[in-house]
Amino acid sequence: MTGLTTQPVRSPRDGTEVDVARARGRVRPSRVVISILLVLVTAQIVLFLVTNERFEWPVVAEYLFNPSVLLGLGMSIMLTFVGMVLGSILGTALAAGQLSEFMPLRWACIVFVGVFRGVPPLVQLIFWYNLAYLLPRLSVGVPFGPELFSWPTNDLITPLTAAIIGLSLHEAAYMAEIIRAGILSVDSGQRDAAAAMGFSRWHSFTRVVLPQAMRVIIPPTGSQVIALMKGTSLVSVIAMGDLLHSVQVIYNRTYDVVPMLIVAVIWYLVVVTALTVVQRRVEQRFSRGMSRTTARRVMNRVEAQA
Amino acid sequence: MTGTQQITRPDAEPVLRVSGLRKYYGEHLALDGVDLDVQASEVVAVLGPSGSGKSTLVRCIDQLEPIDGGSMHLDGELLGYEHHGTHLRPLRDVDVQRQRRRMGMVFQQFNLFPHWTVLRNITEAPIRVHGMAPAEARDRAMELLGRVGLTDKADAHPRQLSGGQQQRVAIARAVAARPRILLFDEPTSSLDPELVDEVLQVMKDLAEAGMTMIVVTHELEFARSVADRCVFMADGQVLEDRPSTEFFDDPRSTRLRTFLTRTGGAARGDADSEAVA
Repeated sequence: MTGLTTQPVRSPRDGTEVDVARARGRVRPSRVVISILLVLVTAQIVLFLVTNERFEWPVVAEYLFNPSVLLGLGMSIMLTFVGMVLGSILGTALAAGQLSEFMPLRWACIVFVGVFRGVPPLVQLIFWYNLAYLLPRLSVGVPFGPELFSWPTNDLITPLTAAIIGLSLHEAAYMAEIIRAGILSVDSGQRDAAAAMGFSRWHSFTRVVLPQAMRVIIPPTGSQVIALMKGTSLVSVIAMGDLLHSVQVIYNRTYDVVPMLIVAVIWYLVVVTALTVVQRRVEQRFSRGMSRTTARRVMNRVEAQA
Repeated sequence: MTGTQQITRPDAEPVLRVSGLRKYYGEHLALDGVDLDVQASEVVAVLGPSGSGKSTLVRCIDQLEPIDGGSMHLDGELLGYEHHGTHLRPLRDVDVQRQRRRMGMVFQQFNLFPHWTVLRNITEAPIRVHGMAPAEARDRAMELLGRVGLTDKADAHPRQLSGGQQQRVAIARAVAARPRILLFDEPTSSLDPELVDEVLQVMKDLAEAGMTMIVVTHELEFARSVADRCVFMADGQVLEDRPSTEFFDDPRSTRLRTFLTRTGGAARGDADSEAVA
Protein backbone atom coordinates (compact mmCIF):
# COMPACT_ATOMS: atom_id res chain seq x y z
CA MET A 1 0.00 0.00 0.00
CA THR A 2 1.18 3.47 -0.77
CA GLY A 3 -1.67 5.19 0.98
CA LEU A 4 0.67 7.22 3.16
CA THR A 5 2.88 8.37 0.31
CA THR A 6 2.42 12.01 -0.59
CA GLN A 7 2.99 13.60 -3.98
CA PRO A 8 6.57 14.89 -4.48
CA VAL A 9 6.90 18.61 -3.87
CA ARG A 10 7.45 20.51 -7.13
CA SER A 11 9.63 23.58 -7.40
CA PRO A 12 7.55 26.66 -8.17
CA ARG A 13 10.41 27.86 -10.39
CA ASP A 14 10.74 25.08 -12.95
CA GLY A 15 8.35 22.35 -11.80
CA THR A 16 11.07 19.79 -11.02
CA GLU A 17 10.93 17.65 -7.87
CA VAL A 18 12.58 19.23 -4.80
CA ASP A 19 15.21 16.71 -3.63
CA VAL A 20 18.29 17.72 -1.61
CA ALA A 21 20.10 14.69 -3.00
CA ARG A 22 20.67 16.76 -6.16
CA ALA A 23 21.99 19.77 -4.24
CA ARG A 24 25.44 21.12 -5.11
CA GLY A 25 28.11 22.42 -2.75
CA ARG A 26 28.02 26.00 -1.58
CA VAL A 27 30.98 28.34 -2.03
CA ARG A 28 32.15 29.54 1.39
CA PRO A 29 34.10 32.81 1.04
CA SER A 30 36.11 32.38 4.25
CA ARG A 31 37.41 29.01 3.07
CA VAL A 32 38.40 30.48 -0.27
CA VAL A 33 40.39 33.17 1.49
CA ILE A 34 42.09 30.67 3.82
CA SER A 35 42.98 28.41 0.89
CA ILE A 36 44.57 31.26 -1.03
CA LEU A 37 46.56 32.32 2.04
CA LEU A 38 47.78 28.77 2.68
CA VAL A 39 48.90 28.34 -0.92
CA LEU A 40 50.75 31.65 -0.79
CA VAL A 41 52.52 30.85 2.49
CA THR A 42 53.44 27.34 1.34
CA ALA A 43 54.82 28.64 -1.94
CA GLN A 44 56.85 31.25 -0.09
CA ILE A 45 58.34 28.65 2.25
CA VAL A 46 59.21 26.25 -0.58
CA LEU A 47 60.76 29.09 -2.55
CA PHE A 48 62.79 30.11 0.50
CA LEU A 49 64.01 26.55 1.08
CA VAL A 50 64.94 26.00 -2.56
CA THR A 51 66.39 29.34 -3.60
CA ASN A 52 68.26 30.29 -0.44
CA GLU A 53 71.67 28.81 -1.11
CA ARG A 54 72.74 29.14 2.50
CA PHE A 55 70.77 26.03 3.32
CA GLU A 56 73.49 24.22 1.37
CA TRP A 57 71.36 21.17 0.62
CA PRO A 58 74.30 19.26 -0.87
CA VAL A 59 76.02 19.49 2.54
CA VAL A 60 72.83 18.29 4.24
CA ALA A 61 72.71 15.32 1.88
CA GLU A 62 76.39 14.59 2.44
CA TYR A 63 76.10 14.41 6.23
CA LEU A 64 72.56 13.00 6.63
CA PHE A 65 73.87 9.43 6.85
CA ASN A 66 77.30 10.31 8.24
CA PRO A 67 78.35 7.55 10.71
CA SER A 68 78.95 9.94 13.61
CA VAL A 69 75.52 11.55 13.02
CA LEU A 70 73.90 8.11 13.01
CA LEU A 71 75.83 7.21 16.15
CA GLY A 72 74.49 10.38 17.81
CA LEU A 73 70.99 9.49 16.66
CA GLY A 74 71.37 6.03 18.18
CA MET A 75 72.58 7.58 21.43
CA SER A 76 69.54 9.91 21.55
CA ILE A 77 67.17 6.98 21.00
CA MET A 78 69.00 4.94 23.65
CA LEU A 79 68.78 7.81 26.16
CA THR A 80 65.05 8.16 25.42
CA PHE A 81 64.53 4.44 26.02
CA VAL A 82 66.59 4.22 29.21
CA GLY A 83 65.15 7.48 30.57
CA MET A 84 61.62 6.30 29.90
CA VAL A 85 62.09 2.85 31.47
CA LEU A 86 63.86 4.13 34.59
CA GLY A 87 61.51 7.12 34.80
CA SER A 88 58.42 4.92 34.60
CA ILE A 89 59.62 2.50 37.27
CA LEU A 90 60.63 5.29 39.65
CA GLY A 91 57.53 7.28 38.70
CA THR A 92 55.25 4.37 39.63
CA ALA A 93 56.94 4.07 43.02
CA LEU A 94 56.65 7.85 43.54
CA ALA A 95 52.98 7.86 42.54
CA ALA A 96 52.22 5.05 44.98
CA GLY A 97 54.22 6.88 47.65
CA GLN A 98 52.36 10.13 47.05
CA LEU A 99 49.09 8.28 47.69
CA SER A 100 50.39 6.42 50.74
CA GLU A 101 48.57 6.69 54.06
CA PHE A 102 51.95 7.02 55.76
CA MET A 103 52.52 10.74 56.04
CA PRO A 104 56.34 10.92 56.06
CA LEU A 105 56.58 8.76 52.92
CA ARG A 106 53.80 10.73 51.25
CA TRP A 107 55.54 14.01 51.92
CA ALA A 108 58.95 12.72 50.85
CA CYS A 109 57.48 11.68 47.50
CA ILE A 110 55.57 14.95 47.08
CA VAL A 111 58.73 16.97 47.78
CA PHE A 112 60.81 14.80 45.44
CA VAL A 113 58.33 15.23 42.60
CA GLY A 114 58.02 18.94 43.29
CA VAL A 115 61.78 19.48 43.16
CA PHE A 116 62.50 17.42 40.08
CA ARG A 117 59.53 18.78 38.20
CA GLY A 118 60.47 22.31 39.17
CA VAL A 119 64.16 22.29 38.26
CA PRO A 120 64.73 22.72 34.50
CA PRO A 121 66.26 19.56 33.05
CA LEU A 122 69.14 21.57 31.58
CA VAL A 123 70.08 22.88 35.02
CA GLN A 124 69.80 19.37 36.44
CA LEU A 125 72.09 17.89 33.82
CA ILE A 126 74.81 20.45 34.49
CA PHE A 127 74.35 19.92 38.22
CA TRP A 128 74.74 16.12 38.06
CA TYR A 129 77.71 16.53 35.73
CA ASN A 130 79.41 18.71 38.36
CA LEU A 131 78.53 16.48 41.29
CA ALA A 132 82.22 15.91 42.02
CA TYR A 133 82.47 19.50 43.24
CA LEU A 134 80.07 18.70 46.10
CA LEU A 135 81.04 15.09 46.67
CA PRO A 136 84.60 14.29 45.63
CA ARG A 137 84.06 10.63 46.50
CA LEU A 138 80.95 8.46 46.44
CA SER A 139 80.83 5.66 48.97
CA VAL A 140 78.59 2.85 50.07
CA GLY A 141 78.58 2.18 53.79
CA VAL A 142 76.69 2.37 57.04
CA PRO A 143 75.16 5.86 57.44
CA PHE A 144 77.39 7.86 59.82
CA GLY A 145 79.46 4.66 60.16
CA PRO A 146 82.25 2.90 58.30
CA GLU A 147 82.53 2.98 54.51
CA LEU A 148 82.42 -0.32 52.64
CA PHE A 149 83.19 0.85 49.09
CA SER A 150 84.30 4.17 47.77
CA TRP A 151 84.94 5.62 44.32
CA PRO A 152 86.08 9.02 43.05
CA THR A 153 82.93 10.78 41.83
CA ASN A 154 84.55 11.79 38.57
CA ASP A 155 85.08 8.12 37.70
CA LEU A 156 81.38 7.41 38.11
CA ILE A 157 79.81 10.60 36.76
CA THR A 158 80.58 10.49 33.06
CA PRO A 159 78.50 12.45 30.56
CA LEU A 160 76.53 9.22 30.03
CA THR A 161 75.70 8.58 33.69
CA ALA A 162 74.96 12.28 34.31
CA ALA A 163 72.64 12.27 31.29
CA ILE A 164 70.84 9.10 32.41
CA ILE A 165 70.46 10.32 36.01
CA GLY A 166 69.27 13.78 34.99
CA LEU A 167 66.80 12.65 32.34
CA SER A 168 65.48 9.71 34.40
CA LEU A 169 64.82 11.81 37.51
CA HIS A 170 63.14 14.52 35.45
CA GLU A 171 61.05 11.91 33.66
CA ALA A 172 60.22 10.11 36.91
CA ALA A 173 58.70 13.30 38.35
CA TYR A 174 56.45 13.75 35.31
CA MET A 175 55.53 10.06 35.12
CA ALA A 176 54.69 10.13 38.83
CA GLU A 177 52.04 12.78 38.17
CA ILE A 178 50.64 10.91 35.17
CA ILE A 179 50.50 7.60 37.04
CA ARG A 180 49.02 9.28 40.13
CA ALA A 181 46.21 10.71 37.99
CA GLY A 182 45.70 7.22 36.54
CA ILE A 183 45.49 5.62 39.96
CA LEU A 184 43.04 8.29 41.16
CA SER A 185 40.84 7.62 38.12
CA VAL A 186 40.18 4.09 39.42
CA ASP A 187 37.03 3.98 41.55
CA SER A 188 37.74 3.59 45.27
CA GLY A 189 35.22 0.75 45.34
CA GLN A 190 37.74 -1.35 43.43
CA ARG A 191 40.23 -1.04 46.29
CA ASP A 192 37.44 -1.75 48.81
CA ALA A 193 36.47 -4.89 46.92
CA ALA A 194 40.07 -6.07 46.66
CA ALA A 195 40.60 -5.45 50.38
CA ALA A 196 37.31 -7.14 51.30
CA MET A 197 38.42 -10.26 49.43
CA GLY A 198 41.63 -10.37 51.46
CA PHE A 199 44.01 -9.32 48.68
CA SER A 200 47.35 -8.00 49.85
CA ARG A 201 48.12 -4.34 49.11
CA TRP A 202 50.63 -5.42 46.45
CA HIS A 203 48.12 -7.76 44.79
CA SER A 204 45.45 -5.05 44.88
CA PHE A 205 47.80 -2.42 43.40
CA THR A 206 49.39 -4.54 40.67
CA ARG A 207 46.41 -6.68 39.63
CA VAL A 208 43.39 -4.47 40.26
CA VAL A 209 44.34 -0.79 40.35
CA LEU A 210 47.25 -0.43 37.89
CA PRO A 211 45.68 -2.39 35.00
CA GLN A 212 42.61 -0.16 35.20
CA ALA A 213 44.74 2.97 35.54
CA MET A 214 46.59 2.12 32.30
CA ARG A 215 43.78 3.51 30.12
CA VAL A 216 44.43 6.91 31.66
CA ILE A 217 48.21 6.54 31.91
CA ILE A 218 49.00 5.44 28.35
CA PRO A 219 47.97 8.49 26.25
CA PRO A 220 49.98 11.17 28.12
CA THR A 221 52.88 8.73 28.40
CA GLY A 222 53.11 8.77 24.60
CA SER A 223 53.50 12.54 24.69
CA GLN A 224 56.14 12.12 27.40
CA VAL A 225 58.21 9.81 25.19
CA ILE A 226 58.17 12.40 22.42
CA ALA A 227 59.03 15.22 24.81
CA LEU A 228 61.89 13.16 26.24
CA MET A 229 63.24 12.37 22.76
CA LYS A 230 63.48 16.09 22.05
CA GLY A 231 64.75 16.71 25.58
CA THR A 232 67.76 14.48 24.99
CA SER A 233 69.21 17.33 22.89
CA LEU A 234 69.95 19.06 26.23
CA VAL A 235 72.67 16.55 27.06
CA SER A 236 74.87 18.08 24.33
CA VAL A 237 75.81 20.78 26.88
CA ILE A 238 77.64 18.20 28.99
CA ALA A 239 79.48 16.88 25.92
CA MET A 240 77.32 13.76 25.72
CA GLY A 241 77.48 12.42 22.15
CA ASP A 242 73.79 12.68 21.27
CA LEU A 243 72.37 13.69 17.89
CA LEU A 244 72.68 17.44 18.47
CA HIS A 245 76.19 17.10 19.90
CA SER A 246 77.34 14.99 16.96
CA VAL A 247 76.28 17.66 14.43
CA GLN A 248 77.79 20.38 16.62
CA VAL A 249 81.13 18.57 16.54
CA ILE A 250 80.96 18.58 12.76
CA TYR A 251 79.95 22.22 12.29
CA ASN A 252 82.56 23.37 14.78
CA ARG A 253 85.05 21.95 12.31
CA THR A 254 83.38 22.86 9.00
CA TYR A 255 81.39 25.97 10.02
CA ASP A 256 78.33 24.55 8.17
CA VAL A 257 76.12 25.46 11.13
CA VAL A 258 72.74 25.73 9.39
CA PRO A 259 73.01 22.68 7.11
CA MET A 260 74.18 20.53 10.04
CA LEU A 261 71.27 21.74 12.18
CA ILE A 262 68.98 20.84 9.28
CA VAL A 263 70.44 17.32 9.43
CA ALA A 264 69.55 17.14 13.13
CA VAL A 265 66.07 18.59 12.52
CA ILE A 266 65.36 16.00 9.83
CA TRP A 267 66.28 13.13 12.15
CA TYR A 268 64.33 14.52 15.11
CA LEU A 269 61.27 14.90 12.87
CA VAL A 270 61.66 11.35 11.52
CA VAL A 271 61.86 9.80 14.98
CA VAL A 272 59.10 11.96 16.48
CA THR A 273 56.79 11.22 13.55
CA ALA A 274 57.42 7.50 13.96
CA LEU A 275 56.73 7.78 17.71
CA THR A 276 53.53 9.73 17.01
CA VAL A 277 52.25 6.97 14.74
CA VAL A 278 52.96 4.38 17.45
CA GLN A 279 51.33 6.61 20.07
CA ARG A 280 48.13 6.89 18.03
CA ARG A 281 47.94 3.13 17.64
CA VAL A 282 48.47 2.46 21.33
CA GLU A 283 45.97 5.16 22.31
CA GLN A 284 43.31 3.68 20.08
CA ARG A 285 43.81 0.28 21.62
CA PHE A 286 43.66 1.50 25.21
CA SER A 287 40.78 3.92 24.72
CA ARG A 288 38.52 1.03 23.70
CA GLY A 289 35.56 0.72 26.01
CA MET A 290 36.28 4.12 27.53
CA SER A 291 33.66 6.76 26.93
CA ARG A 292 34.87 9.83 25.09
CA THR A 293 33.79 12.23 27.79
CA THR A 294 35.67 10.30 30.45
CA ALA A 295 38.76 10.24 28.27
CA ARG A 296 38.57 13.97 27.69
CA ARG A 297 37.95 14.80 31.32
CA VAL A 298 40.85 12.66 32.45
CA MET A 299 43.16 14.03 29.76
CA ASN A 300 42.32 17.58 30.79
CA ARG A 301 43.15 16.76 34.38
CA VAL A 302 46.47 15.22 33.40
CA GLU A 303 47.39 18.13 31.18
CA ALA A 304 46.46 20.64 33.85
CA GLN A 305 48.91 18.94 36.17
CA ALA A 306 51.74 18.63 33.64
CA MET B 1 22.78 2.00 76.10
CA THR B 2 19.80 3.85 74.72
CA GLY B 3 16.93 1.40 74.95
CA THR B 4 18.76 -1.30 73.02
CA GLN B 5 16.88 -4.57 72.92
CA GLN B 6 19.39 -7.40 72.86
CA ILE B 7 18.34 -10.92 72.12
CA THR B 8 20.44 -13.21 74.23
CA ARG B 9 21.01 -16.83 73.41
CA PRO B 10 23.42 -17.85 76.12
CA ASP B 11 23.75 -21.36 74.71
CA ALA B 12 25.67 -20.35 71.57
CA GLU B 13 28.77 -18.24 71.05
CA PRO B 14 27.95 -15.68 68.37
CA VAL B 15 29.77 -15.79 65.04
CA LEU B 16 30.11 -12.03 65.27
CA ARG B 17 30.01 -9.94 68.40
CA VAL B 18 30.10 -6.16 68.07
CA SER B 19 30.38 -4.39 71.40
CA GLY B 20 30.23 -0.66 72.14
CA LEU B 21 31.50 0.16 68.64
CA ARG B 22 32.36 3.81 68.11
CA LYS B 23 33.45 5.48 64.89
CA TYR B 24 34.17 9.13 64.16
CA TYR B 25 34.30 10.87 60.79
CA GLY B 26 36.23 13.95 61.87
CA GLU B 27 34.05 15.52 64.58
CA HIS B 28 30.97 13.55 63.59
CA LEU B 29 30.20 10.49 65.69
CA ALA B 30 28.99 8.03 63.04
CA LEU B 31 28.66 5.03 65.35
CA ASP B 32 27.82 5.70 68.96
CA GLY B 33 28.28 2.53 71.00
CA VAL B 34 26.79 -0.11 68.73
CA ASP B 35 26.17 -3.61 70.16
CA LEU B 36 25.28 -6.46 67.86
CA ASP B 37 25.51 -10.24 68.15
CA VAL B 38 25.00 -12.50 65.17
CA GLN B 39 24.57 -16.24 65.69
CA ALA B 40 25.50 -18.91 63.15
CA SER B 41 22.98 -19.17 60.28
CA GLU B 42 21.22 -16.07 61.50
CA VAL B 43 20.09 -13.36 59.06
CA VAL B 44 20.11 -9.87 60.55
CA ALA B 45 18.62 -6.98 58.60
CA VAL B 46 19.85 -3.51 59.49
CA LEU B 47 17.33 -0.77 58.76
CA GLY B 48 17.30 2.95 59.34
CA PRO B 49 17.20 6.34 57.66
CA SER B 50 20.09 7.63 55.53
CA GLY B 51 23.05 8.69 57.63
CA SER B 52 22.05 6.48 60.54
CA GLY B 53 25.39 4.63 60.33
CA LYS B 54 24.21 1.28 58.94
CA SER B 55 26.65 1.23 56.00
CA THR B 56 29.43 2.46 58.27
CA LEU B 57 28.67 -0.46 60.59
CA VAL B 58 29.26 -3.16 57.96
CA ARG B 59 32.27 -1.32 56.52
CA CYS B 60 33.79 -1.24 60.01
CA ILE B 61 33.07 -4.94 60.54
CA ASP B 62 34.97 -5.74 57.30
CA GLN B 63 37.76 -3.41 58.50
CA LEU B 64 37.43 -1.14 55.48
CA GLU B 65 37.17 1.75 57.95
CA PRO B 66 39.27 2.13 61.11
CA ILE B 67 37.24 2.16 64.33
CA ASP B 68 37.68 4.49 67.29
CA GLY B 69 36.29 2.49 70.18
CA GLY B 70 34.59 -0.68 71.36
CA SER B 71 35.45 -4.07 69.93
CA MET B 72 34.46 -6.62 67.31
CA HIS B 73 35.00 -10.39 67.60
CA LEU B 74 34.64 -12.97 64.83
CA ASP B 75 34.32 -16.49 66.25
CA GLY B 76 35.79 -15.14 69.47
CA GLU B 77 38.82 -13.60 67.72
CA LEU B 78 39.33 -9.87 68.22
CA LEU B 79 39.14 -8.07 64.88
CA GLY B 80 41.81 -5.56 63.85
CA TYR B 81 43.75 -5.54 67.13
CA GLU B 82 45.85 -7.88 69.24
CA HIS B 83 46.82 -7.99 72.89
CA HIS B 84 50.36 -6.79 73.43
CA GLY B 85 51.44 -6.80 77.06
CA THR B 86 48.89 -4.79 78.96
CA HIS B 87 47.41 -2.94 76.00
CA LEU B 88 45.98 -3.47 72.51
CA ARG B 89 47.76 -2.65 69.29
CA PRO B 90 46.63 -2.74 65.63
CA LEU B 91 47.26 -5.99 63.76
CA ARG B 92 49.76 -6.29 60.93
CA ASP B 93 48.30 -5.89 57.42
CA VAL B 94 48.68 -9.61 56.70
CA ASP B 95 46.67 -10.49 59.80
CA VAL B 96 43.93 -8.04 58.86
CA GLN B 97 43.85 -9.62 55.40
CA ARG B 98 43.63 -13.08 57.00
CA GLN B 99 40.65 -11.96 59.09
CA ARG B 100 38.90 -10.39 56.10
CA ARG B 101 39.17 -13.68 54.23
CA ARG B 102 36.65 -15.15 56.67
CA MET B 103 34.07 -12.53 55.71
CA GLY B 104 32.38 -11.77 52.42
CA MET B 105 31.18 -8.34 51.38
CA VAL B 106 28.61 -7.31 48.78
CA PHE B 107 28.66 -3.63 47.87
CA GLN B 108 25.95 -1.27 46.72
CA GLN B 109 27.93 -0.50 43.55
CA PHE B 110 28.83 -4.21 42.95
CA ASN B 111 32.54 -3.30 42.56
CA LEU B 112 33.27 -6.19 40.22
CA PHE B 113 36.69 -5.97 38.58
CA PRO B 114 35.82 -4.71 35.09
CA HIS B 115 39.05 -5.86 33.43
CA TRP B 116 38.45 -9.51 34.32
CA THR B 117 35.85 -11.99 33.14
CA VAL B 118 33.03 -13.02 35.45
CA LEU B 119 34.79 -16.33 36.04
CA ARG B 120 38.09 -14.72 37.04
CA ASN B 121 36.26 -12.28 39.31
CA ILE B 122 34.99 -15.29 41.24
CA THR B 123 38.10 -17.51 41.11
CA GLU B 124 40.80 -14.90 41.84
CA ALA B 125 40.44 -14.86 45.63
CA PRO B 126 40.04 -18.64 46.05
CA ILE B 127 43.13 -19.28 43.92
CA ARG B 128 45.42 -16.39 44.85
CA VAL B 129 44.35 -15.75 48.41
CA HIS B 130 43.09 -19.10 49.68
CA GLY B 131 45.41 -21.30 47.64
CA MET B 132 42.65 -23.37 46.07
CA ALA B 133 43.62 -25.42 43.01
CA PRO B 134 42.58 -23.57 39.81
CA ALA B 135 40.47 -26.46 38.54
CA GLU B 136 38.67 -26.77 41.86
CA ALA B 137 38.12 -22.99 42.04
CA ARG B 138 36.72 -23.06 38.52
CA ASP B 139 34.32 -25.90 39.33
CA ARG B 140 33.16 -24.08 42.43
CA ALA B 141 32.72 -20.82 40.49
CA MET B 142 30.63 -22.59 37.85
CA GLU B 143 28.53 -24.22 40.56
CA LEU B 144 27.95 -20.81 42.18
CA LEU B 145 27.14 -19.23 38.82
CA GLY B 146 24.59 -21.98 38.40
CA ARG B 147 23.07 -21.11 41.76
CA VAL B 148 22.72 -17.43 40.77
CA GLY B 149 21.47 -18.42 37.30
CA LEU B 150 24.37 -17.03 35.26
CA THR B 151 26.23 -20.10 33.99
CA ASP B 152 26.21 -18.70 30.45
CA LYS B 153 27.92 -15.46 31.56
CA ALA B 154 31.15 -17.03 32.86
CA ASP B 155 33.25 -15.55 30.06
CA ALA B 156 31.47 -12.20 29.86
CA HIS B 157 32.95 -9.00 31.25
CA PRO B 158 31.03 -7.22 34.03
CA ARG B 159 30.17 -4.21 31.84
CA GLN B 160 28.27 -6.50 29.48
CA LEU B 161 25.88 -7.47 32.28
CA SER B 162 22.84 -5.73 33.71
CA GLY B 163 23.04 -4.32 37.23
CA GLY B 164 21.10 -7.23 38.65
CA GLN B 165 23.36 -9.75 36.93
CA GLN B 166 26.46 -7.92 38.14
CA GLN B 167 25.20 -7.99 41.71
CA ARG B 168 24.45 -11.71 41.45
CA VAL B 169 28.03 -12.26 40.24
CA ALA B 170 29.26 -10.12 43.14
CA ILE B 171 27.34 -12.35 45.55
CA ALA B 172 28.84 -15.46 43.95
CA ARG B 173 32.27 -13.85 44.29
CA ALA B 174 31.71 -13.12 47.97
CA VAL B 175 30.48 -16.66 48.63
CA ALA B 176 33.27 -18.37 46.66
CA ALA B 177 35.77 -18.25 49.50
CA ARG B 178 33.27 -19.91 51.93
CA PRO B 179 33.03 -16.97 54.37
CA ARG B 180 31.81 -17.41 57.96
CA ILE B 181 29.59 -14.38 57.50
CA LEU B 182 28.32 -12.38 54.53
CA LEU B 183 27.93 -8.60 54.78
CA PHE B 184 25.55 -6.81 52.40
CA ASP B 185 25.82 -3.02 52.08
CA GLU B 186 22.54 -1.92 50.47
CA PRO B 187 22.84 -4.58 47.76
CA THR B 188 19.75 -3.49 45.80
CA SER B 189 19.85 0.28 46.29
CA SER B 190 21.52 1.11 42.97
CA LEU B 191 19.45 -1.32 40.92
CA ASP B 192 16.57 -0.49 38.61
CA PRO B 193 13.34 -1.55 40.38
CA GLU B 194 12.63 -4.45 38.02
CA LEU B 195 16.07 -5.98 38.80
CA VAL B 196 15.73 -5.91 42.58
CA ASP B 197 13.80 -9.17 42.95
CA GLU B 198 16.34 -11.37 41.16
CA VAL B 199 19.02 -10.24 43.63
CA LEU B 200 16.77 -10.59 46.66
CA GLN B 201 15.86 -14.12 45.52
CA VAL B 202 19.57 -15.08 45.44
CA MET B 203 19.98 -13.66 48.95
CA LYS B 204 16.93 -15.53 50.15
CA ASP B 205 18.36 -18.79 48.74
CA LEU B 206 21.59 -18.14 50.63
CA ALA B 207 19.68 -17.48 53.85
CA GLU B 208 17.76 -20.73 53.43
CA ALA B 209 21.04 -22.56 52.81
CA GLY B 210 22.13 -21.48 56.29
CA MET B 211 24.49 -18.60 55.48
CA THR B 212 25.11 -16.15 58.31
CA MET B 213 24.25 -12.72 56.98
CA ILE B 214 24.07 -9.06 57.94
CA VAL B 215 22.00 -7.17 55.39
CA VAL B 216 21.88 -3.38 55.35
CA THR B 217 18.81 -2.69 53.28
CA HIS B 218 15.81 -0.54 52.56
CA GLU B 219 13.80 -3.56 51.41
CA LEU B 220 11.36 -3.87 54.30
CA GLU B 221 9.44 -6.81 52.85
CA PHE B 222 12.71 -8.73 52.46
CA ALA B 223 13.64 -7.89 56.05
CA ARG B 224 10.27 -9.03 57.33
CA SER B 225 10.11 -12.31 55.41
CA VAL B 226 13.76 -13.42 55.27
CA ALA B 227 15.57 -11.89 58.26
CA ASP B 228 15.46 -13.61 61.64
CA ARG B 229 16.11 -10.32 63.38
CA CYS B 230 15.82 -6.69 62.43
CA VAL B 231 17.99 -3.92 63.81
CA PHE B 232 16.85 -0.32 63.64
CA MET B 233 19.58 2.32 63.65
CA ALA B 234 19.34 6.08 63.98
CA ASP B 235 22.07 8.66 64.64
CA GLY B 236 24.72 5.98 64.98
CA GLN B 237 22.85 4.03 67.66
CA VAL B 238 20.90 0.79 67.67
CA LEU B 239 17.39 1.73 68.81
CA GLU B 240 15.74 -1.66 68.38
CA ASP B 241 17.05 -5.16 67.85
CA ARG B 242 14.25 -7.73 67.80
CA PRO B 243 12.84 -10.73 65.94
CA SER B 244 11.45 -9.59 62.59
CA THR B 245 7.78 -10.15 63.27
CA GLU B 246 7.86 -8.22 66.58
CA PHE B 247 9.95 -5.53 64.93
CA PHE B 248 7.31 -4.79 62.32
CA ASP B 249 4.13 -5.60 64.26
CA ASP B 250 5.05 -4.08 67.62
CA PRO B 251 7.67 -1.35 67.18
CA ARG B 252 8.55 0.13 70.59
CA SER B 253 10.44 3.33 69.83
CA THR B 254 8.72 6.34 68.34
CA ARG B 255 11.54 6.73 65.81
CA LEU B 256 10.95 3.25 64.44
CA ARG B 257 7.18 3.72 64.33
CA THR B 258 7.65 6.95 62.37
CA PHE B 259 10.18 5.25 60.11
CA LEU B 260 7.89 2.33 59.37
CA THR B 261 4.95 4.61 58.70
CA ARG B 262 6.93 6.88 56.42
CA THR B 263 8.45 4.02 54.45
CA GLY B 264 5.25 2.01 54.28
CA GLY B 265 6.67 -0.81 56.36
CA ALA B 266 3.72 -0.72 58.71
CA ALA B 267 1.51 -1.68 55.81
CA ARG B 268 2.59 -5.19 54.90
CA GLY B 269 4.42 -5.70 51.61
CA ASP B 270 4.64 -2.08 50.57
CA ALA B 271 8.33 -1.40 50.90
CA ASP B 272 9.53 1.72 49.16
CA SER B 273 13.21 2.46 49.46
CA GLU B 274 12.92 5.82 47.73
CA ALA B 275 10.89 7.29 50.55
CA VAL B 276 13.83 6.77 52.89
CA ALA B 277 16.44 8.38 50.68
